Amino acid sequence: MATATVGQITTTSAWFGCPRAAAWTREQSLNADSQIVERCLGGDETAWEDLVRVHTRRVYAICYRFTGSDQEAQDLTQEVFLRVFRSLKSFRAGEGSFTVWLGRLTRNLLIDHYRRTKLERMTDSIEGQLPMIEERTAMSARTDGLVAGREASELLQSALQKLSPELRETVILRDLEELEYKEIAQVLNVPEGTVKSRLNRGRAELARILRRQKVVV
Amino acid sequence: MTCAEMEILLADYVDGTLHREQKSALEDHLGGCASCAELARDAAGAVGFMERAPGVEAPPELVTRILFEITSGPSRAVVKPHWSRRLFGKWLEPVLQPRFAMGMAMTLLSFAMLGRFSGIKVRQLTPSDLDPVKVWMAAEDRVHRTWERGVKYYESLRMVFEIQTRLREWAEESSAQPAPETKIDTEKK
Repeated sequence: MATATVGQITTTSAWFGCPRAAAWTREQSLNADSQIVERCLGGDETAWEDLVRVHTRRVYAICYRFTGSDQEAQDLTQEVFLRVFRSLKSFRAGEGSFTVWLGRLTRNLLIDHYRRTKLERMTDSIEGQLPMIEERTAMSARTDGLVAGREASELLQSALQKLSPELRETVILRDLEELEYKEIAQVLNVPEGTVKSRLNRGRAELARILRRQKVVV
Repeated sequence: MTCAEMEILLADYVDGTLHREQKSALEDHLGGCASCAELARDAAGAVGFMERAPGVEAPPELVTRILFEITSGPSRAVVKPHWSRRLFGKWLEPVLQPRFAMGMAMTLLSFAMLGRFSGIKVRQLTPSDLDPVKVWMAAEDRVHRTWERGVKYYESLRMVFEIQTRLREWAEESSAQPAPETKIDTEKK
């Protein structure tokens, strides 16, 4: 039985494409980031614009997937960039990539926000909204368990909100934002082994939540 | 392979980046351990599902909002502009507003049209016009002319004319008075 189950596992070798090409692309991105940061520190105003344009999508995506709210994600993204502008001088290119530095800044802000709004969430109607989403999506999924596109995105969003913050942030950084394990370890300030362990638990928990909503995973 | 060892390798296995030997060892373990097999199946299933969900795109106005916030909004002090802009920007900023630029362009156009219709011919500037001697002489000539014109204008003023006339009369009176005294002196003698 276990062997049959193993046979169903589809690994994602093609997911990241060729490792050498991915590494080259990453290196190019690192160089581009360093150049933009240099220009920003040199007082070039257009460089700030480039910095915002290049990194807004990723910061917003992390915030949106973590909070589950578009408005909160927009406000947090703006706050992240204000912090970037205020503290860019403290970033040293030799101590790590800009992506990691930005990721750490975003993560710290999200955790602050999570703690600050914990009480609100407990009393707020967010808990009441989730069953509605689940019911709506589960109904449509009942006819065909294999969902995709926008529906999958909504289901994923509601399922992510049920994960603990530690598992949620790890899953978001790895599976949705495709950061390397090393980078995630630097962002979260934990060993790589802990990152992998959290990722396994986060993924498995996510699959169970989705299965409870009659979604085929 | 133990369950703990399997858990460390599972993430790489699901990513498809595990070496062949480790992969076969892990699959052997999964074949004999139902709980690990379930964990692996769930993890791979979740990854497959997340691949089906489209990526999140930031609203287009968010970039504009952030840029406005850091350049013109309450937090504009965060981004320090270039020193030249900081120095001259304060004075040039009102002039560089679109409405002022438009007004300036219209004024220039109006003057150009007036000059053209009133017959003023604008001579083309030549390199010889930039000769320092020529420039100096022209400037000196212009200064003299302006000075003379100013003097002439000043003297033509009614009040100035009256004051000067009165002063002249007083001067004549004062020069006329000592004459009788000298006459008396001579009579005494």
